[in-house]
Amino acid sequence: MTDDARTRRFELLAMPHLDAAFNLARWLTGNHADAEDVVQDAYLRAFRYFDAFRGANFRVWLLTIVRNAFLDWIKDNRSSRLVFQSADETIEAEPDPQPNVEAMLLERVDSETLTTLVEQLPAEYREVLVLREIEDLSYKEIAAITELPPGTVMSRLSRARTALRKAWQVQEGRS
Amino acid sequence: MNHQRALTLLTAYADGQLGPIRRMLLRRHYDRCPACLARLEALQTTREALRTKMAVHRAPPGLASRIASALPREPAPPPRQPSRLVWGFGASGLAGALAGVALTLMLVPSPDPLVSDVVADHVRSMMADHLTDVLTSDQHTVKPWLSARLPLSPVVKDLAPEGFPLVGGRLDYVQGHRAAALVYRRAKHTINLFAFAAKGPEEAAPSLHTRDGFNVITWRMDGLTYVAVSDVEADQLKDFVKLVRAN
Repeated sequence: MTDDARTRRFELLAMPHLDAAFNLARWLTGNHADAEDVVQDAYLRAFRYFDAFRGANFRVWLLTIVRNAFLDWIKDNRSSRLVFQSADETIEAEPDPQPNVEAMLLERVDSETLTTLVEQLPAEYREVLVLREIEDLSYKEIAAITELPPGTVMSRLSRARTALRKAWQVQEGRS
Repeated sequence: MNHQRALTLLTAYADGQLGPIRRMLLRRHYDRCPACLARLEALQTTREALRTKMAVHRAPPGLASRIASALPREPAPPPRQPSRLVWGFGASGLAGALAGVALTLMLVPSPDPLVSDVVADHVRSMMADHLTDVLTSDQHTVKPWLSARLPLSPVVKDLAPEGFPLVGGRLDYVQGHRAAALVYRRAKHTINLFAFAAKGPEEAAPSLHTRDGFNVITWRMDGLTYVAVSDVEADQLKDFVKLVRAN
């Protein structure tokens, strides 16, 4: 394949996922400019390793690279707020006292408030929420991207949603 | 299924990640267990809020082209010499210029620049959100939209009954000409139909080209150049062109 044909083939496969790549990077970095840098870096990496792509799902492969580009970006721009927190995955989350009451409140939350609440969650929670609720990926696909066992994906999603409900409850209590 | 197990699998159940048998067994437990059911409902409300209200960020407009320009590409074929340069050479220079043209033709085994250009346009148009500016299957919307923006009025037909629904249109450039691009679908494939005013005969019969797995048919009609590009089979593209050309 000539360089040109390879480039075109890459563009055909990769460009339709640009919004998904940017969305994940934007949710991880927390801002527009850094998200653009991460995505651009990820696309150039993806192009470099393009010949190694053997999988069935190009979007999953590409989002894995976006996530790795983000992890490297953190290393270069050390910011304690952004570093992934290592939560203990083996212990079950504390049962919520009244999960349905909090959830009912969540029904009335506006988009801006909910987005802010999710933005304040740790990155490890944000990424599983984005991959599950926006990208609609399966546990197996999320496991491939995050390099976690599928069971951990499940418990992390569960914690992330509980954390969101609690954050919302705290916010409601304050206002 | 016992309560603790059912509780552990609640998240996977709500996320639809379990097989039909486990789903059935869990459903049976949740129906009879108010504690589990309350959690399930809370979980579903939370998911609903996340899915419908979490911000979805779209790539900024310039990002696709910035990435595209950072990817390696072979240099574009050299543009033809503008004619005024040839005049400037005078009589002696003309022979040299002609020799240069002959040499170029020999060195570059004439890849039709029009064909390369429209294939590149077609590929670009498939990138995120660049396919259509006006999104409609209604030819009566697309036609005035285009003629308000372009000094030409190409044929716009909805060929949905024939299996080529019109999806929309956009403005594009082909070899420096402002062009109308009509977007059609064939099953999951996209057909871009470009029309633009370039010098040439009033009418010219269709000719088929193939480049990088794309089929390209060019022809001229009513003084306009038409180019259809797609990855559909050549025969299907021929049928499409026949329909566009039919009165």
